Amino acid sequence: MRSPGCRVTGGFMSLPSYLIPSPDGMPWLTLLLLSPLLGIALVGLAGWLRMDDRLVRIGATAWMGVPLALAMVVWALFEPDAAAAGQGAVQLVEKMPWIRAVRVDYFLGVDGLSMALVLLTVVMAPVAGMASMGVTDRVKAHYALLLLLEAAMLGYFLALDFFFFFIFWEFSLVPAFFLIQNWGRDNRRYAAFKFFIYTMAGSLGMLLLFQVIYLAMRYAGLPTFNLVDLGRIGQGLPVEGVTGTLREIIFAYMDHLGVANVLGRYPLLYTSIAFWAIFIAFAIKLAVWPFHTWLPDAYTEAPIAGSILLSAVMSKMGAYGMLRIMLPLVPDASQYFAPVMGGLALIGIVAGAFGALANTGGDIKRLIAYTSINHMGYVMLAIAAAAAMPGMASLDSRAIALNGAVMQMVAHGLSTGALFYLAGLLYLRSGSWSLSDFGGLRVVAPAFAGVMGTAMFANLGLPGLAGFVGEFFIFRGAWATLPLFTGLAVIGLIVTALALLLMFQRIFLGSLNDRWDRLADLRPGEMGVLLPLLAILLVLGVYPAPIMELGNVAVTELVAIFQQVLHT
Amino acid sequence: MAFFLQYAWLIPALPLLGCVLITFTPLRQSKVASGWTTIGLMALATLLAVGLLAASAQGFALRDGQLVTLELAGHGEADAHGEATTHSEKSKEAFAFPEPNVVQRFVWAPTGTTSFAMGIYVDTPVAALLAMVTITSACIHLFSLGYMASNARQSRFFSFISLFTAAMLLMAMADNLLLFFMAWEVMGLCSYLLIGFLYERPQAYRAAIKAFIVTRIGDVLMLLGLVYLYTQAGSLAFGTAPGEIFNPEFLARIGSETSAVGLSHATGIALLIFCGTVGKSAQFPLHVWLPDAMEGPTPVSALIHAATMVSAGVFLLARTFPIFEADNGTALAVVAFIGAFTALFAATIAVAQYDIKRILAYSTLSQLGFMVAVIGIGGWVAGMFHLLAHAFFKALLFLGSGSIIHGMEATPRIADLHHKDEYAAQQTAQDIRNMGGLRTRMPWTFWTYTLGFLALAGVVPFAGFWSKDEILADAFKGGHWVVFTVLAVAAFLTAFYMTRQWRLVFFGAFRGEQPVVYVNPERRSGHHKASHAHHDDEHGHNEHHANTGAHWHEDPLMIAPLVILASFAALGGLFNLPFSIPGGHWLNDLWGQEPASFSLLVAGISLLIAFGGIAAGWTLYGTAFKTAQERDPLDVRAPGVFGLLNEKYRVDEFYQASIVRFTALLALAWAWLDKAILDGIINGIGRVTLFVGRLNFIVDDTVLNDGPDAVADGTVATGKRARRLQTGKAQDYIVYVFGGAVILALVYLYVL
Repeated sequence: MRSPGCRVTGGFMSLPSYLIPSPDGMPWLTLLLLSPLLGIALVGLAGWLRMDDRLVRIGATAWMGVPLALAMVVWALFEPDAAAAGQGAVQLVEKMPWIRAVRVDYFLGVDGLSMALVLLTVVMAPVAGMASMGVTDRVKAHYALLLLLEAAMLGYFLALDFFFFFIFWEFSLVPAFFLIQNWGRDNRRYAAFKFFIYTMAGSLGMLLLFQVIYLAMRYAGLPTFNLVDLGRIGQGLPVEGVTGTLREIIFAYMDHLGVANVLGRYPLLYTSIAFWAIFIAFAIKLAVWPFHTWLPDAYTEAPIAGSILLSAVMSKMGAYGMLRIMLPLVPDASQYFAPVMGGLALIGIVAGAFGALANTGGDIKRLIAYTSINHMGYVMLAIAAAAAMPGMASLDSRAIALNGAVMQMVAHGLSTGALFYLAGLLYLRSGSWSLSDFGGLRVVAPAFAGVMGTAMFANLGLPGLAGFVGEFFIFRGAWATLPLFTGLAVIGLIVTALALLLMFQRIFLGSLNDRWDRLADLRPGEMGVLLPLLAILLVLGVYPAPIMELGNVAVTELVAIFQQVLHT
Repeated sequence: MAFFLQYAWLIPALPLLGCVLITFTPLRQSKVASGWTTIGLMALATLLAVGLLAASAQGFALRDGQLVTLELAGHGEADAHGEATTHSEKSKEAFAFPEPNVVQRFVWAPTGTTSFAMGIYVDTPVAALLAMVTITSACIHLFSLGYMASNARQSRFFSFISLFTAAMLLMAMADNLLLFFMAWEVMGLCSYLLIGFLYERPQAYRAAIKAFIVTRIGDVLMLLGLVYLYTQAGSLAFGTAPGEIFNPEFLARIGSETSAVGLSHATGIALLIFCGTVGKSAQFPLHVWLPDAMEGPTPVSALIHAATMVSAGVFLLARTFPIFEADNGTALAVVAFIGAFTALFAATIAVAQYDIKRILAYSTLSQLGFMVAVIGIGGWVAGMFHLLAHAFFKALLFLGSGSIIHGMEATPRIADLHHKDEYAAQQTAQDIRNMGGLRTRMPWTFWTYTLGFLALAGVVPFAGFWSKDEILADAFKGGHWVVFTVLAVAAFLTAFYMTRQWRLVFFGAFRGEQPVVYVNPERRSGHHKASHAHHDDEHGHNEHHANTGAHWHEDPLMIAPLVILASFAALGGLFNLPFSIPGGHWLNDLWGQEPASFSLLVAGISLLIAFGGIAAGWTLYGTAFKTAQERDPLDVRAPGVFGLLNEKYRVDEFYQASIVRFTALLALAWAWLDKAILDGIINGIGRVTLFVGRLNFIVDDTVLNDGPDAVADGTVATGKRARRLQTGKAQDYIVYVFGGAVILALVYLYVL
């Protein structure tokens, strides 16, 4: 614990103890955020110089190593055990005023909630770059959009001021939309449109909410969009310049407006409205049932790179938002509605699993998409369980649930990314997405079968690979608060496994379909993409501490508030 | 001795190393090199395991890196208690979780304010199990060198069975239930890979998926048991210290506290964990995968049925026994019931099978039922003893059957069939109706198989007699009459069906010239082509026999493991003779448990049963099957019953019609829900929004058109330009959405 109080850094602003600037004074996070944008400039330059498309493909993918390297620096500088003033410390902070009139700051930082996801983003982006090696149509635009998407996602995970947070949130839709729209499959227009509008419409409530919160905070004397401070106020932790929790502040403002006299004097009512505004925005992104139907369409119709980034990283933006905003800002309503979240999670787990099973004779990407719904259901379950009513649960149980969720997100990103990549390679070789077209490929492509089998088992949660660690800790944590939902959620474990095994069987086992007796096995370059992913999955499955310790302190501090009954 | 304790972790690491070496290095190019690599490493692991057993048997243990000597609990007391204290309650109470010899742990993952430790935990039961697994697995490795020689993917086969063995060894040594479960699941993966090893065959991959999914049903319930236990205990570590799961105060607490569903916590946890056993050890009602697992090559059957997977379930039960004991007896009653039921149920099915491997498979189910049942009535030592003894003779029987099948496949009729349909040829070769008279043709196999047969039938003085006798004695003396009767009947049937098999395989005249040919329902034109590569290999193999004119030969590489295993089957009983003589009660003493006493009455009964079964089998099948096409004498006498047994009580068909169909229906239902209802709503909202948008446009156009026309033109022009960028109409809709949002915002802020 650092002593409370303020410190003057960089000459910009004084920082409270829970915000730690970069130890060496370098703006690492800004560099990280700008590096993909610089890549776009380089792609543009290449276009202006009329450089060869092949060079652009390789160059842009290689450039994605720069954010990767910068993120490694950030990882090295990040101290996972640092905690201060009741929360995990936010580190490598860069904070300066941006729009003074509405108190918007340029405010970047990483903490235990975002660190793992930043790493996931920078690892998956080059995979997406490699997956687009087969793109021949408007290559430069394609790679520029990939880099733009990477920048937007990084910005989303790094931004700690709602203004920037929301801009990156919305902005990530744009490159994703164009990727689906321009390089997708037959039904791409419908899918892209649905994806865009659904996510956008869903987040309007949150946008409005933050206007109200800003006004309420202004009324309370500290107008701010600072997510860290708002989270602290929401949890009742001290923040300089203001007293009371967010719930009291919002209620006081509603009272001031006279709304409380019309709708009733129940503070929980207003935090509940806030909760639903936030929850719907993020639940759509996380594809929580029943807000999930955009996902199979978007994942299926997107080009492979799009599917990889959408499934591996973008869906995690929803979960991250819940951890960053929903739980800390409105803990009382989160706790109150935790059973609802848990129920939706359970339905999503079951629906995703059976949805995948219904596609075992159909489109391979659609099948993988449905398993993603299933897996994100576990993450939702963990978040619900972390917030649920006390019961017998210990603080550790809640922390374990969220640790599991972080692990699950990383593992799912890696394994689903690998599966989509492999599905794309299979399409490039065969021209078919349909599972009923294949059979017996293991004879002609044994390495392909081995690698895809490993990715599949990682995805279905085989112990020894990272996915299991996430699932185990989620089940362990969720059992303490939501045992019924947890007990029923195991249906998903069985049915997803069945769907994936059937997928594998239809592609690789049985007698060889004569159409494919010349199908090429994995090439060294493709192996070079996949083996690192599988290696990470294996290492984390055998020894998960490197990822789990990143978030442990932060989530432990985060869930402490749920140990008491918050709503009355 | 300190070496064996200190480096116990090498025991699973060596087979794993073998797997890695022959999977990822150029060694995999050579079948022979990869085979001998894994065999060498297995032999080394066996040496270490035997050394570890010797060290722990002498009571050596490592404490903080220092070698100390443990007091062997049962040792001194054996004489004092003698054979007088035989009351079951007493012996039940006497179960003590053995002191560990080696515990090595490291921090694995942070869990909030605490952390989760992983490591190895070796005590005497573990050491005994490790020795058994390494010895049988080494034999199976050696056997595979000859048996799988004709398969093009032999080196892959070795890497899978090595991984399988490594997982089993790691599971045995796990210091906590999570690591136990992880290794347990890796075994599930290996069983999937190995059962489906001949993946060109639909039967093989279907059996593989079935094995994985059916055991996974048990596994996920076990997983719930683990999280339940973890939530209650705060850890999953073995041991009796505070915070570990066998801590007496903790066990007393979960045994007395009642959970939300009305059972005590201990009952709930124990039953959920037992589901894992039911899946892995193939107890009713999750037994359906094990007979299908016969689709794997025969060494795999030996590995699954003896050394690894199915033993794992029983070992889990033995390992978590204190939790089962902690409740008021409900959990153990369920265990005993399921075990006894399976023992009899599977034995009756085995009576009416023709496939040599399937008979053994159902026999495994039945024997596992014995073990589960006896643990259910508190006979911990008897269960573990039978587990170890059974592993040796069942591995022997499976490998022996492999040797027989190998010989059968080289007979002219089946070799012919092989060219047309490989799968049908194999099934025909496994049919005991097509055998007969192999006693003289395969003498080594005959004699070793006979030892295994006598051990399984429970004939004195072979291993199975002593262990089965101890089971029956526990049931008898505990007054568990139902369990005793059921197991006695099952034991009778065991002797009977094994005699039937032994008689039909080895005696009489050879019937393979006019075999009952298996009709392959999966046969298609494409199938033949797929297995062509395999054909060519086999073809060469067969030619070789034809040229030398010897259809019947026994590969020395395959005979050697049979002899090793046969010696264990013959002498295994010596490890736990029920007499108070030097060397008697060795396992009891080793495991620090109260020694069971010998009862001449029970031994007499159990011998009577064994000989009765053998006599019945010998008489009934003495004159049966002059030709392969004849009907089974039982079939002639009771066709209805025989048919039902032959079709395995039609449990598979029942599951197919109920659960499988229901699952498929659910999948369709969810897909329909997504497409028709949820997407319908979304698309409906979209349409309404568009309609409102259009309405808005008409209003704008007719009522307010003059002023904003310029703006509108600008928008349209931008839109056109945007459309050229292929952005579709999304922007327009965004405008509407934003417009709506602004209106909402105004309403929200100023009207409300």
